Amino acid sequence: MSRGKAWALRLAGIAVFVLGWEIAGRIFGDALFAPFSAVIAGFPATVRDYHLFAELAGSLRQLLLGYLLGCIVGIVLGIMMGRSALLDGLLQPWVSMMFVTSIASLVPLFIITFGFGLMFRVTIVFMAAVWYVLLVTYHGARSVSPDLLQTARAFESSRLQTFFKVMLPALYPYILVGMRIGLAHAIRAMVIAEMYVIVGFGGVVYNAGVEISTVSLLGALLTIMLVGVALNEALKWFAHRTAPWYSERQQLSN
Amino acid sequence: MRISLTRPLVLYPVSIVLGLGVWEALAQVMPRALFAPPSAVLGRLAAMTGDGSLPTALLGSVQHMLVGYLLAALLAIPVGIIVGRSTAIATAVEPILNAVYAIPPVALVPFFMIWFGLYFEGRVALVFAMCFFEILINVLQGVRNIDRGLLDAARSLDLTGLALYRKVVIPAASPFIFTGLRVGIGRAVNAMITAELFFSAVYLGQMLKTSSNAFDIASTFAVIFVVSLFGLACQEAMRLAERVVIPWHHESTA
Repeated sequence: MSRGKAWALRLAGIAVFVLGWEIAGRIFGDALFAPFSAVIAGFPATVRDYHLFAELAGSLRQLLLGYLLGCIVGIVLGIMMGRSALLDGLLQPWVSMMFVTSIASLVPLFIITFGFGLMFRVTIVFMAAVWYVLLVTYHGARSVSPDLLQTARAFESSRLQTFFKVMLPALYPYILVGMRIGLAHAIRAMVIAEMYVIVGFGGVVYNAGVEISTVSLLGALLTIMLVGVALNEALKWFAHRTAPWYSERQQLSN
Repeated sequence: MRISLTRPLVLYPVSIVLGLGVWEALAQVMPRALFAPPSAVLGRLAAMTGDGSLPTALLGSVQHMLVGYLLAALLAIPVGIIVGRSTAIATAVEPILNAVYAIPPVALVPFFMIWFGLYFEGRVALVFAMCFFEILINVLQGVRNIDRGLLDAARSLDLTGLALYRKVVIPAASPFIFTGLRVGIGRAVNAMITAELFFSAVYLGQMLKTSSNAFDIASTFAVIFVVSLFGLACQEAMRLAERVVIPWHHESTA
């Protein structure tokens, strides 16, 4: 399939989706499912009434903090566990347990521990991102080719040199994939935490949800959808730019 | 022969004992209202199992989880197979699928409340939404990745219609279908507890809420532990099912 035809199909798919939304919206009405046109027309009012962009920006700042902390801890622990059988064995049972723990189930507990503020939201986002980054990095670190490491040793490179010149470049695509998966989970966790305590962007969704009309609610959902897609595409683009030779690794993310 | 001390068989028990020790020590310095030692959690776990409250709650939770999961699987598998068989449709649907997938499912809760109410139907809808896309994306990928040679061979044998699906398409895509089902059931367990916290509080979600509100942290930990363990058990059950239903895949990757 040519690139032009693929793009035409994608645009057609989006057009059909928007059209279907519009028709369904006209049938069900604003109270049940506002049509696309009404959501767009009402969007400026949604932004104004709910301070949508200000709340979103505040939420994203806290998201970034928890997410970056999660990435750093995940990458460091992932590499250590991947390269040391001792650490792997000592940490694996607890990491596996944390990995399956539902973020939502931690919310009531973390409110007790951290209150309703910054710490609570950052910790929830951290917990959502860290295990995914860790596991993907871990698998990457384990699969670094022994040939590469032996070659490095044959050339008498120091441990530090081997780490920065061989290990990190080999791990890089894995780290980026882990960060992308982690980001999706971080955004979900952010909304879970914020809707529970009704602050930030999640608070907007909650408050818009109790209105009679679904115009504001759908506007907020459309916004977070675009933000999620944009952040994911940005990371994908960055990965492609900085490590084009490994783009097939992206299959890992599905 | 020297037995390596870094084997999982040796290290995992050490890890669990060490971890519990650290946890117990941490509990000694942390205030009792914020943190509970493992011994107390185990005690609460035994008490709540003994008086039947925990098993009853789990049984209640499983209902909406299973109904939502089965509905999602029954719909996502055929849709994924049909869409995946046509390159044109798959290309057209892909951007929409990615976009809808980027919406944090919990943000749909207010919307589901309007449509399905605060109780069973609402919870089922959230479970459905949280695992439908996960399964669909995997099935789609499985069908898209079928070896062309396999399909050409089927065509040269005049295999068409249902027989083509039954003998070639579905078996070839089944490893991906099972991956989708396994990831999906993990998401379903997450959705189960999320729904109980965000719709009207029932079963395990209610236990989480009441215990944390009463600063009964040992009970909160116990419920979180049960949810995690249940999620793990469900995923392992799917892994086992995969091994029984498509043994050839397991043998080729083992």
